[in-house]
Amino acid sequence: MSNDVKTKEKVHMDPQYIIKLTVTLLVTCMVVAAALGGVNAITADKIAATNWAKTVEAMKKVAPDATDFSDPLPITEDMTAAAGSVALDSVYEAQAGGQSVGYAIKVVASGSQGKIEMMVGVDGEGAVTGVSIVKNSETAGIGSKVMNNENTAKGVGVLSQFEGKTAADGALTVGSNVDAISGATVSTRGVTNGVSAALAVAGVMG
Amino acid sequence: MNIGRQLKEGLITQNPVLVQMLGLCSTMAITTSIMNGLGMGVSVLIILTASNVVISAIRKIVPDKIRIAMFIVVIAGFVTCVDLLLQAFVPAIAESLGVFIPLIVVNCIILGRAESFSYKNGVAGSFFDGIFQGLGYTLVLLAMCFIRELLGAGTLAGFRIIPEQFPIGVLTLPVGGFLVLGFLIAAMQWALSKSKEGK
Repeated sequence: MSNDVKTKEKVHMDPQYIIKLTVTLLVTCMVVAAALGGVNAITADKIAATNWAKTVEAMKKVAPDATDFSDPLPITEDMTAAAGSVALDSVYEAQAGGQSVGYAIKVVASGSQGKIEMMVGVDGEGAVTGVSIVKNSETAGIGSKVMNNENTAKGVGVLSQFEGKTAADGALTVGSNVDAISGATVSTRGVTNGVSAALAVAGVMG
Repeated sequence: MNIGRQLKEGLITQNPVLVQMLGLCSTMAITTSIMNGLGMGVSVLIILTASNVVISAIRKIVPDKIRIAMFIVVIAGFVTCVDLLLQAFVPAIAESLGVFIPLIVVNCIILGRAESFSYKNGVAGSFFDGIFQGLGYTLVLLAMCFIRELLGAGTLAGFRIIPEQFPIGVLTLPVGGFLVLGFLIAAMQWALSKSKEGK
């Protein structure tokens, strides 16, 4: 290579060579970007459809009475504030026969290993109708028990125990009105925070 | 280029994981079930082969000083394609592999082969190098998955083999990944040194 840079010497680079480098890199990036644009055009609709199907499936689980779901509702600052430390992802209106029967609220809480994306159904009276986990990275065999709704010591599914809870029940706390799976307290606490946030968001929405 | 020798190198004497020690992170992270291992292995094989071929084809026009940047652009392009295609057509695998598909961009097997092989060799040789190195990676993944899923979760490709109360759960945790990989590397080194002595 005639253009080898010798270390410790002042670097002499011919401007023409620098332009050549820039142009080569630029052209490569443009070709790759064009190819990616093509692939994206083919796959974008399919990916969106798959994601929506997954969202609807999760919403059906938490709002069993609903037959239909709205597009995502606009999220106001009040709603984000109500969710507190839990991130509010999206809110959908659950409908049956054109009537609103409550909300499906997607929140992202923190578990022991990372984020727990979960869907919480809240009915018109502000009571939880169901909780389902969309995505998580909890430890297999420990936190995953919470994610799979296994039974607590009281014989009720750890996610099912939230059904019927309202904001009027007071703050949800693991150990007092929420039972944890033994060994998976942190994961249970994450889910509990998520449910509390969803209830608070539903409260703000009225 | 001798295809037979390349095959042997990819699978055994220059196995990317067990001998070159490349791509260890993904190897330990995703090998908890056979389906994961297969999905990841095939993804890497396709990306490695495609990027090897392209890099080999453009090697004469790539200026030496910016070759790494060029490699990364090419590799990232293929990885993003595979990521999008997986999400669109096999969402189940895309979901279980999660962030490890985009992370193939920085998987050192691919950059390593670009730098040490395809930048110096012809297109045909690079193509086979990609296939064989990819196969070597996939086989190690499958071996890891087999051990970890069978002994750790008691299942194989989702089917229960060992009753639920017996599996050694720790094998599916990261520490189990380190252990299994360590044993596999040790076994490989032992076999290699044994075959050298025999000659």
